[in-house]
Amino acid sequence: MAFSEDSGCGYQNFNFFLAEKKSAKAVADSACSWPGAPGVKLTARRSSLDHYFPSEVLLGIAGKDFVILAASKAAMRGPTVLKAEDDKTRQLNKNTVMAFSGESGDTVQFAEYIQANAALYSMRNDTELSPAAVANFVRGELARSLRSRSPYTVNLLLGGIDPVSEKPHLYWIDYLASLAPLPYAAHGYAQYYCLSILDKHHNPNISLEEGLKLLGLCTDELKRRLPIDYKGVLVKVITKDGVQEIPFDNDKIVRSA
Amino acid sequence: MSGYDRALSVFSPDGHVFQVEYAMEAVKRGTCAVGVKGKDIVVLGCEKRSALKLQDTRITPSKIALVDDHACLAFAGLNADARILIDKARLEAQSHRLTVEDPSSIEYITKYIASVQQRYTQSGGVRPFGISTLVVGFDKNDSTPRLYQTEPSGIYSAWKANAIGRSSKTVREFLERNHQDDMDREQTIQLTIKSLLEVVQTGAKNIEVAIMAPGKSLEMLPDDQIESYVKSIETEKQEEAAKKKTRTGTATAAILTRPGGE
Amino acid sequence: MSRRYDSRTTIFSPEGRLYQVEYALEAISHAGTALGILAKDGIVLAAERKVTSKLLEQDTSAEKLYTINDNMICAVAGMNADANILINYARQNAQRYLLTYNEDIPCEQLVRRLCDLKQGYTQHGGLRPFGVSFIYAGYDHLRQFQLYQSNPSGNYGGWKATSVGANNASAQSLLKQDYKEDCDLKEACAMAVKVLSKTMDSTKLSSEKIEFATVGKTKDGKIYHHLWTADEIDNLLREQGLAKVDDEPEAGDIK
Repeated sequence: MAFSEDSGCGYQNFNFFLAEKKSAKAVADSACSWPGAPGVKLTARRSSLDHYFPSEVLLGIAGKDFVILAASKAAMRGPTVLKAEDDKTRQLNKNTVMAFSGESGDTVQFAEYIQANAALYSMRNDTELSPAAVANFVRGELARSLRSRSPYTVNLLLGGIDPVSEKPHLYWIDYLASLAPLPYAAHGYAQYYCLSILDKHHNPNISLEEGLKLLGLCTDELKRRLPIDYKGVLVKVITKDGVQEIPFDNDKIVRSA
Repeated sequence: MSGYDRALSVFSPDGHVFQVEYAMEAVKRGTCAVGVKGKDIVVLGCEKRSALKLQDTRITPSKIALVDDHACLAFAGLNADARILIDKARLEAQSHRLTVEDPSSIEYITKYIASVQQRYTQSGGVRPFGISTLVVGFDKNDSTPRLYQTEPSGIYSAWKANAIGRSSKTVREFLERNHQDDMDREQTIQLTIKSLLEVVQTGAKNIEVAIMAPGKSLEMLPDDQIESYVKSIETEKQEEAAKKKTRTGTATAAILTRPGGE
Repeated sequence: MSRRYDSRTTIFSPEGRLYQVEYALEAISHAGTALGILAKDGIVLAAERKVTSKLLEQDTSAEKLYTINDNMICAVAGMNADANILINYARQNAQRYLLTYNEDIPCEQLVRRLCDLKQGYTQHGGLRPFGVSFIYAGYDHLRQFQLYQSNPSGNYGGWKATSVGANNASAQSLLKQDYKEDCDLKEACAMAVKVLSKTMDSTKLSSEKIEFATVGKTKDGKIYHHLWTADEIDNLLREQGLAKVDDEPEAGDIK
């Protein structure tokens, strides 16, 4: 069956507890072994991974009452751009969106699997999962996948508004199944260029307008410094009223120093 | 009649599968549900038991359930059985989306529900599902309303309008007399409620109505609107009865004794 | 005649009924009474225990009330052995949900999962249905305090006040008479012992004969559930003037 909701029975499910402990170790390991780190030779299952996944841009910014997710629009294979209007996001339910990067194929497969499970939950229970619950579900699925024969190679940003408290939530999740709630986050090369800008300018009470301005600073810097044309970003904003794609000026020309 | 109705779902010498027939009895003991197709709308109406004083009204399991965003069903029969069957249908609906990206057609969902019900008439050590369902909705990019019925035996069929559950025969006959093709929204809702009133004596508080339109999500008709429909139907009935009375006068008293007024 | 349909597994009778389920309900109607009352700031569950002996350990041998999750407790009426299986199943499911979503399972979902299992035993495998009814008391952020009841058929419903077990008809009518919308937990507790005292055989109660539990909110907004100790129960009984005569210093002193 395509679904792995937690409704199986018997004691076997408690093996998860064991799996959980292991994953803590994996998280620790992952800290020093990001693909392409100097001197680290990744013995992981996908040795070609470091080749292309960091060139995709994922950015997330949470503010006072919103979360912005931005994903680069270039679908790439190695150095080749296959498509310039790719959507690397999926809406999971009324108030949660996931942006993904990583091995193409894996990403969409995994995202749609999560999407279907979230939809099934909404249908069965007549309520939406909170972003926190979805994030933990995703983490569990990745942890399970990581220990299977063919793990998914996906990195994710998950943003949403909690339907009860109406507070924004942003989660950073990587393919080693680490999960971190953060006020702002990035995946791929974008991390190296944008985190310092976000460190300086972000505070948790910014308005949506300020958030988009901040995103602009980030994309400007990427254009200035990143030697890859990522074809601009697709921007989705989640507020308590739902999810919206926001038109974003990707044509601005930024000069390098 | 010796033992053939006792082992689960086997043929008797005269060709009956008794457990399936008895399951139909369970359906008839359930509250009534009606489905009516209009021109570009389909409406479900259900009889609902009134809540007892101490019941928590926030938690009232409905007889109408969403299977997917575009498909919805009403059932009659055993509540707990329905929960299980609906759950299976929901799983299949999402599974279908995941594998072929598009939502399933209403017929596909119906067929799936019916096939599950059929399996439970032929597998070892199980009893059939004691429910019938009315499945309604719209296929993707299509504005033809769909209405199907499934039964405990696993039979499914398409209808213009139909009823299941308690007194479904009376309601079906009423629908046969009054259903027209190409009804608009108002007429369709009106007919749904009117047909339910054939068996529901207590009026609006024991009726729930759900409406599906192409590309839209399920709409549950608010109680006050049901109330106003019921009122207008009742006054209409009274007027008709009054007219009959004046027209026929005292000459043919025999007609007046027919149970038309009610 | 009806013998044909009521032995062995659960199958339909010619009228479309499930006798096995109805007989299971019958079995429950001989069990000790259990009741639950929903108040605006909490829920109380109370139950009559049938097995009483001075030698029973008071705190460790709960017979009727069980914790199933951090946010939920339940009262049982019926076959205790069956109840143990179901409670174990519920506890596992609650933990599995916590593991998957890192959140407590919403009350209705846990009730539904248990009821789905109960339903299964009325439909397949040549098994008999579970001979237990439950009353569940819990809290979640979707619906705040909630009270549910479920029975062997796998049906469940939400209630403001409800009872199961022996004399549940009279208990129910007493509850109906006395229940006040938005009563507080203290009033609900008083009502619970009052109803129990009227439905139980003996007029005077003691902590040996009843079990008591509450779900509520602490001052700083945390949800707690609490199975009462013998002393706490005796105190309440004394307050309500329902305690045994020999330890009844200030009878009739209500609240």
